[in-house]
Amino acid sequence: MTREEIIAEINAELAEEFEIDEATITPDAPIYQTLELDSLSLVDLIGIVQTKYGVLISKAELPTIKTFAQLYDYIEQHQK
Amino acid sequence: MNDVLIIGSGLGGLECGALLARRGLRVLILEGSQQPGGCMQSFRRAGLDYDTGLHYVGGLAPGQAMHKAFAELGLLDLPWQRMDEDFDHVIIAGRHFTFRQGYEAFAEGLAKDFPHQREALQSYVQRLQHITASDMDVSAYDYLRQTFSDELLLNVVSAAAMKTELRRESLPLFNFAHTCSSYIESSWRLQGDGNLLVGKLIGTIREAGGEVLTGRRVVRLSETDGRITSAVCANGETYEAGHFISDIHPATLCSLLEGCPSVRKSFRRRMETAENTCGMFTAQFSIKPGALRYFAHNVFVYDKPNVWTMTEENDPVKGVMISARAPEDGSDSLRQIDLLTPMPWHECEAWADTRVGRRGDEYKAFCREKAAQCLTLAEQYIPGLRDMVEQCYTSSPLTYRDYLGSPEGSAFGMRKDCRAAMLTFHSVSTPLANLLLTGGSIILPGIEGVTMTAFETCSKITK
Repeated sequence: MTREEIIAEINAELAEEFEIDEATITPDAPIYQTLELDSLSLVDLIGIVQTKYGVLISKAELPTIKTFAQLYDYIEQHQK
Repeated sequence: MNDVLIIGSGLGGLECGALLARRGLRVLILEGSQQPGGCMQSFRRAGLDYDTGLHYVGGLAPGQAMHKAFAELGLLDLPWQRMDEDFDHVIIAGRHFTFRQGYEAFAEGLAKDFPHQREALQSYVQRLQHITASDMDVSAYDYLRQTFSDELLLNVVSAAAMKTELRRESLPLFNFAHTCSSYIESSWRLQGDGNLLVGKLIGTIREAGGEVLTGRRVVRLSETDGRITSAVCANGETYEAGHFISDIHPATLCSLLEGCPSVRKSFRRRMETAENTCGMFTAQFSIKPGALRYFAHNVFVYDKPNVWTMTEENDPVKGVMISARAPEDGSDSLRQIDLLTPMPWHECEAWADTRVGRRGDEYKAFCREKAAQCLTLAEQYIPGLRDMVEQCYTSSPLTYRDYLGSPEGSAFGMRKDCRAAMLTFHSVSTPLANLLLTGGSIILPGIEGVTMTAFETCSKITK
């Protein structure tokens, strides 16, 4: 999967699942504020990425993902 | 108005109810079926009471894992009977081993059969006593492989863990250890049926002014500004409360939350798509009076050392747990015995569209055959058992699904996975500020797991 394909797919998925306007998802946007994540819904984000791409974001690396661009990077680097 | 409304009266719901009632809160429990208790309930046939999910409890002695919790719940007053020092017997491929109560005695007992693994056994019991939340990420099977070089011993120490779903690729050490360790501390049977426990908890709730209503199936929860305000039952009744606790399967709960704006699709999907653990097949027998002496231990019989893969290869039955019912009259004559074996959903899925009592002759024949296979294995320990039985009552995952509302008849709730602990161990909190979760699907299954979870759930209200 190319990066562009990942971006298109995950943006649509996150907008649908977290019930937000897809237009608010931009590469540099802060992921926690945009998706309105708390400790509970953060787990939902991890679940979506794992179900969709088979990529499990580890606890240790979670703090390094602050923007959508960093999420795309992570999926791109870890997808099987 | 009620302070707390609890949906479901399984052990978790009743324990939460009793804990909160003891703290002065007014509790209402709504149970969908006609009988409270979930897996703790018992049923009566031909003058005898049969349990559905209660077999034995670990760690009730002072200072042990469950003592403080059961004391706080008022459950230590029940007639608990300490089991034999050799509380679990294991037979694998015809070889007989015993588990002794007490960590040191447990290790030393098995070291007599496996002297070359004495150090490994000592290391194992040490590890069991130091389990932390970080062990949710550790594979139980990998840990055992690293600890025991003897494949047979690995199977022996795992053999009594039929109380959880043994699955090599996913079972966390956290779950495996909690399934084993409190029983090694000390093992106890209730001299009586599970309804004693249910009755005690309901009594506590009622004494504090609370109530448990059966035949009240909740079909909808209503939200206002991020809080649940009321529960609507199928009969049209509506109940309001300050806090709500769900003791039903989280996927079923999600169906009650349709239309709640605070519950986003992402939460629903995680709960609705979670995998469930396997179910159990149980054959419960009444025994001819005087035919068999009571024994205060469990027996786990396996055809071969495949304890960790047996669930998926269990047709015909290759492993069975024998649980004897403690005689209530104090006599040494055994009147009831249960034989249990894991059963994945696919084995009974052919009858998924049927309901209790209307599953047809093929299903009856299937259950008879399974019961006969269980008996054949059990006869390795009790020769001639089939000639001692009077009546046989069977239950499959279908029975659990229909009576308890457990999807796919799952016996241990939603599956935990050490490879994805963050996703499979759940918080008791939900996106709604005053809606909490409890029960065997959330953190740990079993009596100990459900009790631990009930305390965690209640701490969110009482803190």
